[in-house]
Amino acid sequence: MITARDAGLVACQQCGQVHPLGTQVCKRCEGRLQSRDVDSLQKVWAWLIAGMIAYIPANIYPMLLTSTLVERSESTIIGGVFDLVEHGSWGIAIIVFVASVMIPVGKFVAIIYLAISVQRRSRANQHERHKAYEVVEFIGRWSMIDVFVVAILSALVQLDTIATVNPGIAAVSFALSVIFTMLSAQAFDSRLIWDVARTKE
Amino acid sequence: MSDANDTGPVPFDVRPVKRRIWRRLSLVWVVPFVALAISLWAAWQSYADRGKLITISFENASGITSGETTIKYRDVTIGEVEQVEFAEGLSVVLVHARIDQTVAPFLDDDAQFWVVRPDVSVRGITGLETVLSGVFIEGNWDTQADVAQTQFTGLERPVLTRAGQRGTRVVLRADDGGSIAAGAPVLHKGIEVGYLEAPELSFNGRQVVVSAFIESPYDRRITSSTRFWDTSGFSVSFGTGGVSLNVSSLASVIEGGIAFDTVVSGGEPIRDGHRFDIFPSEETARDSLFTDPNADVLEVAVLFEQSVSGLTVGSEVRFQGIRIGEVSDLNAIVVGQAADAQVRLQATLAVEPSRLGMGPDATTEEALALLSDFVTRGLRARMVTGNILSGTLYVELVEVEDALPAIMNLTSGDFPVIPTTDSEISDVAATAEGLLARINALPVEELMDGAIDLMDSFERLANDEYTRAAPAALVTLLDESRELINSDDVQAIPGDLRSVIGDLDGLVTAATEANLVTDLDSAIATAAQVATNIEVATQNLPQITQDIEALTARANALELEALVASATESLNAIDAFLGTDDAIAFPGEANAALSTMRELLDDVREGGAVANVNAALASASEAARAVEDAVSTLPALAARANALVTQTEAVVNSYGERSRFSAETLATLRDIQEASDAISSLARAIERNPNSLLIGR
Repeated sequence: MITARDAGLVACQQCGQVHPLGTQVCKRCEGRLQSRDVDSLQKVWAWLIAGMIAYIPANIYPMLLTSTLVERSESTIIGGVFDLVEHGSWGIAIIVFVASVMIPVGKFVAIIYLAISVQRRSRANQHERHKAYEVVEFIGRWSMIDVFVVAILSALVQLDTIATVNPGIAAVSFALSVIFTMLSAQAFDSRLIWDVARTKE
Repeated sequence: MSDANDTGPVPFDVRPVKRRIWRRLSLVWVVPFVALAISLWAAWQSYADRGKLITISFENASGITSGETTIKYRDVTIGEVEQVEFAEGLSVVLVHARIDQTVAPFLDDDAQFWVVRPDVSVRGITGLETVLSGVFIEGNWDTQADVAQTQFTGLERPVLTRAGQRGTRVVLRADDGGSIAAGAPVLHKGIEVGYLEAPELSFNGRQVVVSAFIESPYDRRITSSTRFWDTSGFSVSFGTGGVSLNVSSLASVIEGGIAFDTVVSGGEPIRDGHRFDIFPSEETARDSLFTDPNADVLEVAVLFEQSVSGLTVGSEVRFQGIRIGEVSDLNAIVVGQAADAQVRLQATLAVEPSRLGMGPDATTEEALALLSDFVTRGLRARMVTGNILSGTLYVELVEVEDALPAIMNLTSGDFPVIPTTDSEISDVAATAEGLLARINALPVEELMDGAIDLMDSFERLANDEYTRAAPAALVTLLDESRELINSDDVQAIPGDLRSVIGDLDGLVTAATEANLVTDLDSAIATAAQVATNIEVATQNLPQITQDIEALTARANALELEALVASATESLNAIDAFLGTDDAIAFPGEANAALSTMRELLDDVREGGAVANVNAALASASEAARAVEDAVSTLPALAARANALVTQTEAVVNSYGERSRFSAETLATLRDIQEASDAISSLARAIERNPNSLLIGR
């Protein structure tokens, strides 16, 4: 199997136009042409770390500030999940848990695995890793569901003294964390997965 | 990238990468560093801002929840409870809380914390917000930062006075705390100017002590001459003006309240913690204005053997008519042992030493010594009727002259005991009852029977035919009398009378010549001498007055019943007499007498009797003339007597105070004066009509 680079070609990642290796700018869409993004792993790590840093306050600080006539409560992500479980709302608890905890954490793990495996020039599970990358990139945006819920609640539930919902610091942190990890996933150049096999051959 | 083009089989050359690691470092790395920096800064910030940990200990932590219960200062949340736990040995509940850094420095030793719970009282509902949101801890401290503390003891009930609130705190004392409740208003001229704090029992357990906080600027109205009184409830008073119902504000009716006023000026300004008494009513408070309520009182006891009904707590204690204190307590105690045990009624008297004339600085010891001294000299206590109608009593300390020797009992019992003497209780009801009983016992009915019998007898007498015949006989007698008078001889009588008066005139002239007037003069001089003697005699008056009183008493003691009985008897006798045949026959005899008289008159007419009378009258006329002359000097005599009386009166007046005797003497003198006036008018009458002396009119 021959790669584009072996053939002395470079494909535009935006429009797919193929150019001879060494061309800097796409003739069709004027996008930058890179056979391999050499800074890819750096960017992946940088965004990933930023995302992970942002994820810490997202879990420590309250996500929702709910004040009703009776009480005023602050709930963190995990705390909210436990509250829901206590109230018997298993379904919603699972959704929140999956969207706010499992997916981001899964993304971190997946991206770290991908980055490390590329750095180590691992040859194992190349197809699976590629699939994992596709999944990570696709599913990442769904983590924003939590942020949207908070945003919608805060906008709708503003009944003055009776009940008020305000987003907490965690909402912003969590949104940043999701954004950073999405950027991290995007910075990953999936072609690097296959370069190992290429060079081995 | 250019390397990749050149080398081909080995796209990544390790060495050049290593060399250019810093140059190849992507700009994206800034993002995690910024994120890290922000996170660290936020972490530091939250650590630095997380507040100071304090510990408040409470008896119980009802409603306090860790993580939820807030701590407020002036209704601003300044902290939150972090943890609730027991102290060692489960003695108290420790509440750990975080307080804002900005407030923490002010939490010095004057900081107080209490749990705010809903409270419903007459004056309103407080802490309502805690019904829904749960309790919170309220803090209170002043705005002066001192040495910050971290350990506090929570109060069981909210403080009423904010630290730093301006005003004056006074201590009030009352005998009874029934009308005092924490938070009850303090009124001044009807407006609320302060409130009471929780009442407490005093050290000796006799009084209730309560702090009152008077807010600025009203506290300036309080001086040492301010009086506080109880306005709780309502009062009904009966007086000459009718019934008066006094109701204060509804809150004070239910919760109690205290009012104060400063009526007299001249009081000194007071400091925090000045002590005042609470008077039971405004009236007593005002009455007490001229005494110092804070002066020590000497408590002595009196044991009465008889009932003290009518004596109440607050009854006056008088010494020689002056109020020196009041009855502070009444109770029964047992005196003696076993078989000799007797129940006595003990009245505790609170005597104010300053009222005993010992000066304002007199101590109770000095007063006790004085009283003790008096007791050995015969001072005794007794109950005296104060008000006849209501039967109220007061205790009087009197000196009894022939008292059995006694000393003040200083050792036994709670108080020194003053011996008693017989009480002077005039029981009006009993006296009136006795009088009525005596009147009841009078034989009024027998008297009436006797009188009725008498009237019957008279009626029978009047109905007698002889009695009826009497008028006709009288008419005949009169007719004959008229004839007699119309006779010439009788007509001549006036002329003869005139001559008699002339003779009298001569007689009087003779008397004048015989220095009769001079004698009268000397008689009057003698009277003046007598008056002087009276003056001297009046010095013995008290004795005389006593004698008179004794005489009066004896007269009073005369037996009225006997008198009435004897009157009844005599009436009965009269009755019996009238009932006799002799009495019935009387009219007949009277008729006979009249007939005899008629015959006598006939004789007179026939005989020369009238002529004789005429002659006698003529001489009488002469005599009257003499009297007329003499009488002309009488007015002068009366004038002199008058002057004498006036002089005597002046003497008696100057004798001194208007004692009962001098009043009586004056009355006597006035009688003398009236007598002399009568003499002078007699004289004038004789002068006008000398004939009246003879005619008798």
